[in-house]
Amino acid sequence: MDLTGLKWLQQQQQMVSPEFLQMLGSDGREELRRVETYLGKNIFDTIDGCISRTSSFQTEPVKNNEENRAVALLNKRKSEGKTETREKKKKKIKAEDETESSMKGKSNMSNTETSSDIHKQDYIHVRARRGEATDRHSLAERARREKISKKMKCLQDIVPGCNKVTGKAGMLDEIINYVQSLQQQVEFLSMKLSVLNPQLEFHINELSMMADLRSFPLHQQGSLDYSVMNSNQTTSLVVKNDAFSSWDIHSQCPYNNLRTDPVSNFFSLK
Amino acid sequence: MASADKPINTDVPEKDVFALHFLQSLSNLRRQNAFNSPDDTTNNRVKKIKKAAYVSMARAAGGTNRLWSRALLRRAAKENNKVVIFSRRKKRVTWLRRSNRRDPVDAERLRNLLPGGGAMETSKLMEETAHYIKCLSMQVKVMQCLVDGLSAK
Repeated sequence: MDLTGLKWLQQQQQMVSPEFLQMLGSDGREELRRVETYLGKNIFDTIDGCISRTSSFQTEPVKNNEENRAVALLNKRKSEGKTETREKKKKKIKAEDETESSMKGKSNMSNTETSSDIHKQDYIHVRARRGEATDRHSLAERARREKISKKMKCLQDIVPGCNKVTGKAGMLDEIINYVQSLQQQVEFLSMKLSVLNPQLEFHINELSMMADLRSFPLHQQGSLDYSVMNSNQTTSLVVKNDAFSSWDIHSQCPYNNLRTDPVSNFFSLK
Repeated sequence: MASADKPINTDVPEKDVFALHFLQSLSNLRRQNAFNSPDDTTNNRVKKIKKAAYVSMARAAGGTNRLWSRALLRRAAKENNKVVIFSRRKKRVTWLRRSNRRDPVDAERLRNLLPGGGAMETSKLMEETAHYIKCLSMQVKVMQCLVDGLSAK
C-alpha cells in the first residue's frame, strides 16, 4: 500500500500543480472538506507521510525504480512548458485504473497539501486562469489548441511574409496561398520543360550530374515497394553502360572528364 | 500523444537528391515509347512531366515516412492501375476523420490542397504542410535550374 500510494502521489503531484493556483481560495477548501468525508480522515496521514518523502526526493540519491522515475519526471518537468504538463496529466489519468470521481477528489485534496511543498520544488507556475474549466476535456482541448498554435508558428517561419498577418485565419490563408502558388509554379515549369525539351533528350550536364550522383544511395528515405519504377531505375544506376547507351548524347566526351564545373553551374548546389 | 515535447522535424534532403530523382523519372518517361510519338499532345506531355515531378519529389523527400508522400504515391499508382505496397509499422486509423469535425480550426482548404490531408488530425496536418512546403520549394528550385540550363543552350 505504501509504495503504490507513493507512486500514485508522485503522479498526482505532476498533475496537480497547474491546477494548484486555480484551487486557491474557498473552492479548494470546500472540495477538500467534501473529499475528506468521502475518503475518511486516515488517508491524510499516509498522504503526509508520502509528501514528506517526495519533497526530499530531489536531494536524496535514487535507489530503486520508483524513485528514479519520480526524479526523472520531476526533472523533466522543470524544463517543460505548461502544455506538456497538461498532456502528461491526460496520459497519467488514462494510465491509472481508478475511477474518475475519486481521481478528481484526490487531486483536489492533494492540491492544498502540496501547497506547503511548492516552494521546495521548481514547478512551472501557471498563471491562474479565472473561470476556466478544469475538467479533463477542456484541458485536453486547450493542450491540443496550443499544440496546433505551436506548429503554426513553425509554419510561420517557413512561409515568407507570414509575419505581418496575425491570427490563425490570416496565417492559414497565407499558407494556403503559398502552397497554391508553389503548385502552380511546378505546373508552369513542367510546361516549360515539355516545350523546351520535347524528346526529353538530356545533354551532357545532366549526364555528368547523374555520373556524380551515381554512387548516391537510391533508397535514402526508406524503401518502397513501388515495383515499377524501382526496377527500372536501379538497373539504370548500377550498370552505367546500359544507361549510357540508351541516352541520346550530343557529344562523345568521355564520361570521366565531365567534372563538376558544368554541374555546379547547372544546379547551383549550395 | 505523449511526445508533445519532441522537436518537430521538418528536414528535407539536399537539392541533389531531388535532382537525381527527378532526372531519373524523366529518363523513365523518355523510355516509354508513347512519349516520343509526335501525335502526343502538349497537354498530355505536360501532365506526364508534372506527375513525374510530383512522384520524384515524394520519393526523394518523403519516402514512406511522410503521410503526404504516401498519399501522393498511392494516387499516382492508382492512375497507372498499379498497386503500391507500403510496409508500415503502425496501422493508420481512418476514423480520425471523425475527430476532425470537432475542431474549430477548420483547415478544410488546406486539407484539400495537401495530398492525403483528409485523414489527418489538425496538428499532424500542420507538420505535414511544413514538410510539404519545403519539399515543393526544393523541387521548384531544381526544375527552375533545369529549365534555365536547357534554355541557355
